[in-house]
Amino acid sequence: MTSYSKEVIRDLAAGQLPWPQTRRIMSAYKDDDRFFKMVAVYQDRVAWKDPILLPVSDHLFICQSGDERITRCECGHSFGDYRKNWKLNAAINVRNTEQSLREIYPNSDLPDPEWMEIREFICPQCGTLHEVEAAAPGYPIVHDFEPDLEGFYREWLGKPL
Amino acid sequence: MLDKPASALRLRERLLDSERLMEETGCYDGITELSLRNQDPLKFETLHTKLRAYCVSAREMARRISASPGVREVGEMVVAIYTPEGDAIALSNGIMVHVHTMSRFIKWMIKNNYEENPRIREGDIFANNDAFIGTVQVPDVMDVVPIFHEGTLVGWAGAVCHELEAGGITPGGDVCLAQERFTEGLFVCAEKIGENDEIRRDYVIRCERNLRMPIYWVLDEKAKVASCIDMRESVKQLISEIGLDYWMKVSKEFIEEGRRAQLARTRQLTVPGIYRGHTFYGHVTAGKPGFQLLGDPDWLYNIPIEMEITTDGKITMDFEGTQPWGYHSMNCTPAGMDGGMFVTLTQHMNFEGLVNDGAWMATELKLPHGTWTNPDNEMVATATSWALLLPAYGVFQRLLSRSFIARGFVEEAFVGQVNSPMIEMGGESQYGTPFGMAHFECAAAGSGALAIKDGLDTAYVGWNPESDMGNIEVWEQSMPMVYIGRSIVPNSGGAGKYRGGCSFVSTWLINKTSHLRLHTSEHSSRVFDNGGMCGGYPAPTCQKHRAVRNSNIHELAARGEPLAHAPGIDPLVSDYEKNIGGDHVVVEGPYITSPHKEGDIFSHSYNGGGGYGDVLERDPIKTAWDVENGFLTREAADSVFGIVLRDDEDGYPTADIDATVTRRAAMRKERLAKAIPVADWIATERGRVEKADFAPEVKKMYASAIKLSSRFTKDFSDFWNVDARSIFTPGAKP
Repeated sequence: MTSYSKEVIRDLAAGQLPWPQTRRIMSAYKDDDRFFKMVAVYQDRVAWKDPILLPVSDHLFICQSGDERITRCECGHSFGDYRKNWKLNAAINVRNTEQSLREIYPNSDLPDPEWMEIREFICPQCGTLHEVEAAAPGYPIVHDFEPDLEGFYREWLGKPL
Repeated sequence: MLDKPASALRLRERLLDSERLMEETGCYDGITELSLRNQDPLKFETLHTKLRAYCVSAREMARRISASPGVREVGEMVVAIYTPEGDAIALSNGIMVHVHTMSRFIKWMIKNNYEENPRIREGDIFANNDAFIGTVQVPDVMDVVPIFHEGTLVGWAGAVCHELEAGGITPGGDVCLAQERFTEGLFVCAEKIGENDEIRRDYVIRCERNLRMPIYWVLDEKAKVASCIDMRESVKQLISEIGLDYWMKVSKEFIEEGRRAQLARTRQLTVPGIYRGHTFYGHVTAGKPGFQLLGDPDWLYNIPIEMEITTDGKITMDFEGTQPWGYHSMNCTPAGMDGGMFVTLTQHMNFEGLVNDGAWMATELKLPHGTWTNPDNEMVATATSWALLLPAYGVFQRLLSRSFIARGFVEEAFVGQVNSPMIEMGGESQYGTPFGMAHFECAAAGSGALAIKDGLDTAYVGWNPESDMGNIEVWEQSMPMVYIGRSIVPNSGGAGKYRGGCSFVSTWLINKTSHLRLHTSEHSSRVFDNGGMCGGYPAPTCQKHRAVRNSNIHELAARGEPLAHAPGIDPLVSDYEKNIGGDHVVVEGPYITSPHKEGDIFSHSYNGGGGYGDVLERDPIKTAWDVENGFLTREAADSVFGIVLRDDEDGYPTADIDATVTRRAAMRKERLAKAIPVADWIATERGRVEKADFAPEVKKMYASAIKLSSRFTKDFSDFWNVDARSIFTPGAKP
């Protein structure tokens, strides 16, 4: 069975593994112990103690916080119950003028702000930009991911939550 | 286990029987146990690999027969071997999107009693390019031949090439001006085009008299038929070695194994749950010559996708809430939607090569009737269906990537594909002859970023995993234009910790012709048709065209003065305007104007992919390299990424790490100062929603989605706490 050390997985997640080694990992049979190893890598990265149950973005994790399961930023900020859309508890910056769009696209043709805006969802504590939506004005905010956490642990990982 | 010998049933009955068995057992053709694999796994795997080798070898041989640079240079071809019922057993590399569309074509013939009339006999050749029967768009012409063994139909061999010219209202293959089926070009609707391994002369004559550049189509037909015969003879030889009964069983076990492998791969790589995403596409044609006012000329399309992964490993994609079909060429049939799903799965989950129709069977598409994904009118045009299909499956790639990240397989996360804008052309060639073709250098766009590195620069398109832009000299042989530039477009990848791959732009001098029609398609206007992930931005994909008519380039060259070889980095004043005299034009949306002539200049940019992660985490040293090599501008490094660059003694940019840390801390602070709580934004924005204070095309988009989807209506109403129906469709019956 394919398996890699925690150090290799840590460097892979950080984008610091040399490309030839990364390429071999991409081409090889997948390592079935990856999930818990990756969770351990993330757990080492965060300063808080709540056990990580599932990574959901580059710096967002679902974790067990007392009796609750919440979406937490790497900095520790809680976005609330993991079943709710974390974006609703974020800070937002909307780019809907040519001037504000030009800040991100200094040398390109721009979208028409009447047709499309860029929404930046930001951690109100550390300022990390967690997600960007490009949407028509008035389009509801998307709830990106509703994991079947119970089913995943019970049926695929064979471990209790 | 429902073992069956070579069936005596007629084909149609056999197909219906196979579908019934799948329905009853949940397994392909009722195969509940892989008995041959269990008996001798080595023999089983060897045979499967052998079939794959037959396909790869047949395709490579056939590409040498083709005259089309699309097939020869760019590899716009795929071949596959099918069961008698039309399910793919093995396939080659290439444009794998068509493996399942060909399956639909074969099944369509079976269900329409082709066994009775026009009969299916040894040596017959059938062709199709009708998307409602089974292809994506009119230039995707497919040929299949039956494989007989001692009088019994034991399978099919099939091949598809993307034709560079389809004889439509505008030249080229992706007929951008087609607004109904009747202007798309030459249709071959599940037609018997040959017998006794020979293409009928009357069919060739029809092609020669209805196409602008028949040499491409006709030689591609010969290439496809050659590949089919090659595969057929290989399969017949194989059957003589392993026996007919073994073949009939093993070929189906391969498919059931493929279905199980897909389910297992999903359970291995992903996390069950519901994933959502969306993208948009802008279509602007008001006032453009040639467009009939059959509907509104300008459209904004929303493409929302909900993907569900269940604990049994099944993936379902639901397009509810998207827009209706329209009088344009961007509609797609369910066959095309299947194809998009198949080609995405083969790249992201079934990359070991032994994939077949079993993978498709482990998935489900929900395509709402009446939308562009499943038109309720078979007269609609689908000639540029990739325009909406590519952004849609880019969303699928991002949804899958979210699941890979959640499972810990970060190296598989890939922000996905973007549209690959096409140029079609025709008129008088540099040789003084009529011509028409699509320029296929678009097969090398920038990819989306990965979760661990930047995207691929000028090396990816979703529809052809063997990305290749082709050599300049080969394209110049085929069209009356010479390159005066082909270069990286700086900042064309979406910004992020890892940027999207960059695209390139070509600039041509029109040469030795007095009549060159240039048309473009599959590029979005006014909106980006892709997205970033995890904080990455979309790539800037709503690009305009820049051209110069009656340029003074020959005079400039004679005087030895500098020319312009690319539009440059000032979006408001291009380098063409700065350096070249003539009539400068900037065109939004599809490029459809009066013909060009010798001395004119035309430029066309392709698309980069979306970014991944927060821009303030981007590696400053890599960014300095990007600036030095033209992938990013200094301006972007500073204002987007917060990276302070200084020149070394040789004038090369180097990152000032300390200054960058300080600048980024300030930018993060500024970011927080500008942002407001989402709840506050929703409260303010709700007022705008209640008043429907939007551009007409945005309002029309909402009204259309509400009319077609009760779920979209409910979601919209619930989110804003409004009655969406009364705002956008007042007076309409619920």
